[in-house]
Amino acid sequence: MSSHQEAAPSHDGPKVLAVSERSPRVRSIAVVRPGEPDVNYLAATAKGLAITLKHFARNFFLPMKSADERAKPGAPVDETWKNEIETVQYPEEKVTYPERFRGLHRLMLRDDGAVRCVACMCCPTACPAHCITIVPEESDSLRIEKRPAIFEIDELRCIACGLCVEACPCDAIRMDTGEHAKPVEDRARSIETKETMMARGIQSVATQGGEGPNWRETATPPSK
Amino acid sequence: MSETAAPDTVTLTIDGQSITVPKGTNVLEAAKLLGNEISAFCYHPGLKVVAQCRQCLVSVEKNPKLQPSCQQTCGEGMVVHTTDTLSTNARRQMLEFTLVNHPIDCPICDKAGECTLQKLYFDADNHDSRVDTAKVHKDKAVDLGPTVVLDQERCILCSRCIRACDEVAGVHQLDFAHRGDHEVLTTAPGESLDNPYSLNVVDVCPVGALTSKDFRFTMRAWELEATQSVCNGCSTGCNIEVHHRNGRAWRIVPRYNAAVNKWWMCDEGRLTYHDLREHRLAGATVDGLPAGWDRAIRVAADRLASGRAQGQLAVALSGTCTNEDNFALAMLAKSWGHGKLRSADINANLAGVKAIAAALGLSTLPIFELPTTVKAIVALGDVLPGVDLARLKEIEYVALASHERGPVEHARIALPIAAWAEVSATVTNSAGLVQRMNAAVPAPGQALPGWEAVVRLAQATSVKLAWASAREVHADMTAAVPAWNGLKWAREARPLALRFAGSRG
Repeated sequence: MSSHQEAAPSHDGPKVLAVSERSPRVRSIAVVRPGEPDVNYLAATAKGLAITLKHFARNFFLPMKSADERAKPGAPVDETWKNEIETVQYPEEKVTYPERFRGLHRLMLRDDGAVRCVACMCCPTACPAHCITIVPEESDSLRIEKRPAIFEIDELRCIACGLCVEACPCDAIRMDTGEHAKPVEDRARSIETKETMMARGIQSVATQGGEGPNWRETATPPSK
Repeated sequence: MSETAAPDTVTLTIDGQSITVPKGTNVLEAAKLLGNEISAFCYHPGLKVVAQCRQCLVSVEKNPKLQPSCQQTCGEGMVVHTTDTLSTNARRQMLEFTLVNHPIDCPICDKAGECTLQKLYFDADNHDSRVDTAKVHKDKAVDLGPTVVLDQERCILCSRCIRACDEVAGVHQLDFAHRGDHEVLTTAPGESLDNPYSLNVVDVCPVGALTSKDFRFTMRAWELEATQSVCNGCSTGCNIEVHHRNGRAWRIVPRYNAAVNKWWMCDEGRLTYHDLREHRLAGATVDGLPAGWDRAIRVAADRLASGRAQGQLAVALSGTCTNEDNFALAMLAKSWGHGKLRSADINANLAGVKAIAAALGLSTLPIFELPTTVKAIVALGDVLPGVDLARLKEIEYVALASHERGPVEHARIALPIAAWAEVSATVTNSAGLVQRMNAAVPAPGQALPGWEAVVRLAQATSVKLAWASAREVHADMTAAVPAWNGLKWAREARPLALRFAGSRG
């Protein structure tokens, strides 16, 4: 028995018409097409049109509430817009992003408010877009030896891959702000500085050096 | 093999492979010749053997105890095993001992990426610590002297630095204090680590305990690229690696050359890279105002014409510049016919300047004084020792210089040339050894290699010098200088990314 016959499927697969001598994985099979035209699509078409008509009627006859009205205390928050119109009034209102959405970077803080980053250069090393610039300096603190004097991320270059967060050994950089990179008038303004990223940061509970509780489990959502 | 071996060699077997080595070679070096790098901390080929880290233990047949391969001299017929269970386990356990009190702060340690301990851990051990007691804490950031900072926690007490001070610098400035877990490296009583070779201790340190104040916290080792070059600080011509990134040099480290500097170099030489970014002449100037290359060359040719015609032109070569630059200018001076040639200064390449001048039949004057008849001067480099600046201001001074300082500030016409780390060239050290430098970083602004500036000047003065590359200058030069006949232009050494270089020190 030759090998290419062994490679052919024995049952349940498509009917094999021929197998290549040179490469047994290359086969000709019989393709089965639907014999008679299926007329059941008429029902599905009618159902789809009904949904479209329903939305049209609701949007046409029900008054649209403004974002201010919906923001009033007591107004149902999450479901309100669904009752009226299928359009989100961006940027006044925004849909909530998934929890793991990678947004603008932020630099986490120590308990005394200093930056957690120790300028180990793991994130610029991991960064495939070369968008992180760190200039280290000697810290004047007795506990901490090294810290970043400059920590800049060019958000135009950033491809939001999250490798910097993965590379960080001390939970100093996160991308969990849920914010987009902002549109800017010139490219220089797209550069996030240490100060702007620290302003978004909160105190991290992770023990420096990777010991202690997993910060991903105990993390608090970003404060707005 | 052993029957035919000369009496000053011994033949032994290491891991089943036979090797013949000179008498007195230790087992570690013999294994290295076979491509088997036995792990070690305290052993350094340039320092005395102390065998105190026990990281290089190997099995020697007929010897009941494991032997440190750095101290074990090769014997005739000796059979050594380096990969057997006994010695492999012994080395692994020694590594575990070494790591007991090491802080393992690799992310913030400057040595990370070129650390012997880090490399051995990943190569041989690579498991979590089995020690659950707290590590012994010692002093961080201890100031040893003007150049070096010590982290006592990272120190693994190999004593390489102590021996480097004793044997290379010849001063006992470092020593151990206390005992056991609390043993620390410190300065010797009443001493400070201030010898002129102090930064060699940073190179020999197998961990990140000793860091250079100059390089500390500036750059991670794995981000750098190394280009082989020759130090331009003095006429010794120490072989070096320029470590650079993004077109900027970040440090200089010695490169082994048995004939010149072995493993070492002086602190002053290490810091010469700062000069590449200071006071640079980045564009041509005419009468102190910026000018393009074309205009500067044209004006220079015009103004030098009268001086040439009346034999009132002097040409100064420079020991700070490369053989090729000096040869090019010397050839131009010879073509002009009657330049008074000066050897401008005693510096890195003086031997090369003298050889070139002698070969071209030009006499050099060691002490620089401008005769009153001289109306114009073309000078290479930015050092003209002994020259009267007031007199220099009066004459037509054309400078081919990399830096705008000293006499160059008074130049009527200044032509920017590339500095030593920016060109592929050769230099000649005081012993007459011609050594090759490679371009590590780009030249700033409009600066061109010196020989190219000379070629432009030659063309403007209708002299036929048509070299297209430093290699062509080198070929003509080695043909013209008898002592250098037959020297070949070596292939360009490409930069080596240090992330692939393994450990240093």
